[in-house]
Amino acid sequence: MRRPIFSLKLSPSLKVKLVQAGFQFTSDLVDLSPLQLTRDAGVSQQEAREVLQAVRIHGDRVSLTGLELLKKEEELRSIVTFCSQLDGALDGGLPVGKTTEICGVPGVGKTQLCLQLAVDVQVPLCFGGVEGQVIFYDTEGSFLPQRVVDIATATIRHCSLLAEDEEQRVAMTTFTVETILSNIFLVRCHDFVELMAELHLLPDFLRDWPRVRLLVIDSVAFPFLQLFDDLSQRTRLLQGLSQQLISIATSHNMAVVVTNHMTTRLRGDQSHLVPALGDLWGHAPTIRLLLHWDRTQRLASILKSPCHMAATVQYQITSWPRLLSDVSSPVLPANSAASQVTSR
Amino acid sequence: MVILRVGMCPGLDEDLLGNLRAADVRTVEDLISSDTEELARKCSVSYKALLAIRRVLLAQHAAFPVSGADLYEELLSSTAILSTGNPSLDKLLDSGLYTGEITELSGGPASGKSQVCFGVAVHISHHLKQTVVYVDTTGGLTASRLLQMLRTETSNTDEQMEALQRIHIFHLFDIYAVLDCLYGLCSGGLQQVCVGGGSVKAVIVDSVSALITPLLGGKQSEGMSLMTQVAGVLKTMAKDFNVAALVTNHVSRSGNGEVQPGLGVSWSHVPRTRILLERVESAAASVSHSSLRSATLIKSSRQVPQAAQTVVKTYC
Repeated sequence: MRRPIFSLKLSPSLKVKLVQAGFQFTSDLVDLSPLQLTRDAGVSQQEAREVLQAVRIHGDRVSLTGLELLKKEEELRSIVTFCSQLDGALDGGLPVGKTTEICGVPGVGKTQLCLQLAVDVQVPLCFGGVEGQVIFYDTEGSFLPQRVVDIATATIRHCSLLAEDEEQRVAMTTFTVETILSNIFLVRCHDFVELMAELHLLPDFLRDWPRVRLLVIDSVAFPFLQLFDDLSQRTRLLQGLSQQLISIATSHNMAVVVTNHMTTRLRGDQSHLVPALGDLWGHAPTIRLLLHWDRTQRLASILKSPCHMAATVQYQITSWPRLLSDVSSPVLPANSAASQVTSR
Repeated sequence: MVILRVGMCPGLDEDLLGNLRAADVRTVEDLISSDTEELARKCSVSYKALLAIRRVLLAQHAAFPVSGADLYEELLSSTAILSTGNPSLDKLLDSGLYTGEITELSGGPASGKSQVCFGVAVHISHHLKQTVVYVDTTGGLTASRLLQMLRTETSNTDEQMEALQRIHIFHLFDIYAVLDCLYGLCSGGLQQVCVGGGSVKAVIVDSVSALITPLLGGKQSEGMSLMTQVAGVLKTMAKDFNVAALVTNHVSRSGNGEVQPGLGVSWSHVPRTRILLERVESAAASVSHSSLRSATLIKSSRQVPQAAQTVVKTYC
């Protein structure tokens, strides 16, 4: 089958030049030398080389069979949250290689969960952790180092209590508050331009720091809440962003976590709280986690996931040190999905 | 517009080509649309020779008619109907996915589009023993989920592994990569993936809207052109290689709050059959975890538009 030139990844003006010169399909170009193309189409030498390169790489996309993918997945470890009910609902923690959105109202614990994940991802391999580094995009200024120190101290204490063999004791000597903090790369982004620009630079950063296993954007909603003249432009940018994040997550085996605000939507004469940024953005994250209140209880629900069962679990945030953790005696409302969890 | 080249047809040699270029005739289209008599004078070539070249070029580039009877014969011999593995969906689709056609599933987040796609992939690879190509553009596919679905079908590990091997997965996240892949599949890739026998019967793109929406909106005009490219290559592939194409799409709300498939009117002509999946909202609960979905047939050339309730396997 002949492939039209318009489907190539080239600038639109260059494609128009080629078509005007009578080249319509890639098969018209494939035997040409850059010199001939320059003469026939009136493009510069560099453009000609670019065109011929685009024509020749065509078609060599690699596929995996389901079995190969399964083997690859089995080698990946999830990031434990140390909230066993949430870990249970997520089949062992936050999956790497996927994008996850955490949405919820202010104060419900979105940032807390992000900070905790930033520490949890660093748990040494011998403790069943991922032993990775973190890149943290802070768009709201909510990253508090003191909180991270608290979480790190608590996590180190937890791990040192678990340490049994020599290997784990050795690992503990380098698992300190200082190393934990130095493994977190914080990027403060003030608007969506800074955020998008940083994400474009990310592939280079990841080449230098291949151990990064978690990317956090807290929050993705805030930079996009500014006034946009044209709302469709915002949609386009957000869709591009989501494809970029998925691509990074898959190619680098990283967990990508973004947080999102809630907004009100009127349905009939009732108002509902729904995640912000619109319906289309709802497709962007692979997994969508909702943190919400039920009277005085904090609940976490999996709203969307292609690989987990929908579930609701209860969690709490302890006062000192502030930690998102299990509720000691789970008392769950009858209609919540706790019953489903046990019925598994 | 095809550029004129030496050896395209008898009589079109280097000298004549040079003369034609000098007369500003570069493409087949230029040659056909110009006045032959005048051109013959300008290029100092015989009128007869030029007319012969013109006739050959026209014959080379024209589409040719096929009789309806032949077409019907071919249809009967080559079309297969692939069951989706979900009886209520099969009923809506008039017994399943037809090869040679594009079927679309649209729905909001968590409406079960991907789960239906997984189900179709597993059903075709396990029950029909055919190869499936799965283009994942949202990162939603996990092999462990496929395995989970296979385990409910068979307890034989070898059969599970064989079925997984018949599913070929592409993780592609931008439209150019997907176009590369689809054109690659058309020019030999489809035969290549099924070296072990059998043939590719279904190509699933989940989701097609994730590819196109980053290019639509704002002041971008290229998005439309690329959308047409995707539609064209999918249609050609479905027809020429007898595969069933299954794509997923998002939904948008029209002015009066009605849910409709995304990507606008121009895309709506692309799929032959469209199904809208929706969550069945339970009354009071703010977060519902029901695995029940409603499926509505909104476009079909065979069935009357109708709705059905279906249980999407959200968990086994």
